[in-house]
Amino acid sequence: MFLTKEQQKMLDGEFGHAIAKLTQLIVKIGEVNGATRLIPIKNAQIAGVSYLTVGEPIFTFFNMLSEDNVKVSVPSWLNPAGMDMKKWKEMGIKNDFAEKQRKIIQQYQKMGIQPTLTCTPYLIGHKPKFGDHLAWSESSAVSVANAYYGARTNREGGPSSLASAITGFTADYGLHKKENRVPKIVVDVKATITHFSDFSALGYWYGEKFHGIIPYFKNIKNTNIDQVKMLGAAMAASGSVAHFHIAKHTPEAEKVDLSYISETVTFDENDKKQIYDHFNQIKERVNLVVIGCPHTSLEDVKLIDSSLGDKSIKEGIKFWVFSSQELMQNDKAKKLLTNLEEKGVKIFTDTCMVVSPVVRENYKNIVTNSAKAAFYLTREGTNNVNLLSLSEIIERVSE
Amino acid sequence: MKTIKIRTIVEGTVEGIALVSPIPISFFGGVDAETGIITDSENPLFGESLTDKIFVFPESKGSTVGSYVIYGLSVNNVAPLALIANKAETIVIAGAILANIPFVDKTDQDVTISIKTGDKLVIDTTQNIIKIKKE
Repeated sequence: MFLTKEQQKMLDGEFGHAIAKLTQLIVKIGEVNGATRLIPIKNAQIAGVSYLTVGEPIFTFFNMLSEDNVKVSVPSWLNPAGMDMKKWKEMGIKNDFAEKQRKIIQQYQKMGIQPTLTCTPYLIGHKPKFGDHLAWSESSAVSVANAYYGARTNREGGPSSLASAITGFTADYGLHKKENRVPKIVVDVKATITHFSDFSALGYWYGEKFHGIIPYFKNIKNTNIDQVKMLGAAMAASGSVAHFHIAKHTPEAEKVDLSYISETVTFDENDKKQIYDHFNQIKERVNLVVIGCPHTSLEDVKLIDSSLGDKSIKEGIKFWVFSSQELMQNDKAKKLLTNLEEKGVKIFTDTCMVVSPVVRENYKNIVTNSAKAAFYLTREGTNNVNLLSLSEIIERVSE
Repeated sequence: MKTIKIRTIVEGTVEGIALVSPIPISFFGGVDAETGIITDSENPLFGESLTDKIFVFPESKGSTVGSYVIYGLSVNNVAPLALIANKAETIVIAGAILANIPFVDKTDQDVTISIKTGDKLVIDTTQNIIKIKKE
């Protein structure tokens, strides 16, 4: 590995023990993956925030970092936490969990990391630019950054994204290199893809079949950021797919080298139905609806409001929507939220159904429009999750 | 005595007894950082302690927070002596570096077959080899 003088000093401990360790971590991961140099990153998005997913071990690591008083060297943002930082009691979060959660976020803030607590930094103004090198760790954000914006990031872990945030570098391998961004499989989309849940089903289907392989989707008529985030999130969940192309839509699709294509597959109505059927086996009375995996945009929330119209959510059913504080705190959004609350829809920010303990623990029969959420919530086998389109969900739970 | 060629990821020459997991290990949720005990009920090593053993496994799986668990093992003085994997992945690389635990991979054979629990091992990262002394 070639290191600049500055990087060598970092590795040699001239800037302290913690910086040396974190640099060593990036260098070794790079060497194992065949990198020959480190490259500067524009910004970092850091996972490992919810107390549910990091537990006690994170505190020993924070101790090491705080001894050297390390700070991030590029703009850095946090993934969702295990609770809404204001309305956690309303969610059913217990006091001791809340205390641990606050401590974790304070520790990250001490390093200069912004507590955005969202999996969709690109929806709150942090849109990557074409060709930017990043160190992002939330798998859905990684795939959106690569595919929709044409930025370059590997799927980092919590520790490696934090190491990059602090040192300002990542190793030059994987998706940072053009030659590794080419598609290997063409997916001819014959099924009708309209609802968010359809994009999600397509992503889930592909990821399950072709683990880690970059696809090139053909015949998807329209794509907006909210549709692409559903597609990417599901593919990352079921198959660790970190990049994809959509013909005529994503920025690399037109110029990308198609000579590595080894197979063309079709996604038809039957394939789509199979994914819905996979999650819709148990038809019991719904306890909880969860929308917002990945976090909703303001447009997503408006759509829930307009789909509901004059109707309200039925008694005994909870309807939870997850988003970022940044989007939900402006005056326009506040009015919308008040409207929705009156209809029985609750908006929580800073967290989601996957990283908060309460959804899994307190609700058995869950409905969502996200295959990623369905995948994670059914993994332990204790929850029944139905995957439906937003309009079907509203039809079922409102009156 | 048998020898196996290795790639060194974290350096260190150590001698100790092998503990072999036949299946991939998730450090987060599968190992208790405070005691060093394997808590994954699907693993045949369930209830065994990693502490002061040379822990041998095919590869890692699960959350990247696993790196913090490996670091926690060393802070709590219950770390394994060394780690041997068929394939090193980011989770264990990061953990082994933070914890400064010798870690090697890319052997010329499946270590979970050629090494048995209880074997006496010498890992020599200056020569990139493991010596196996069968019990």
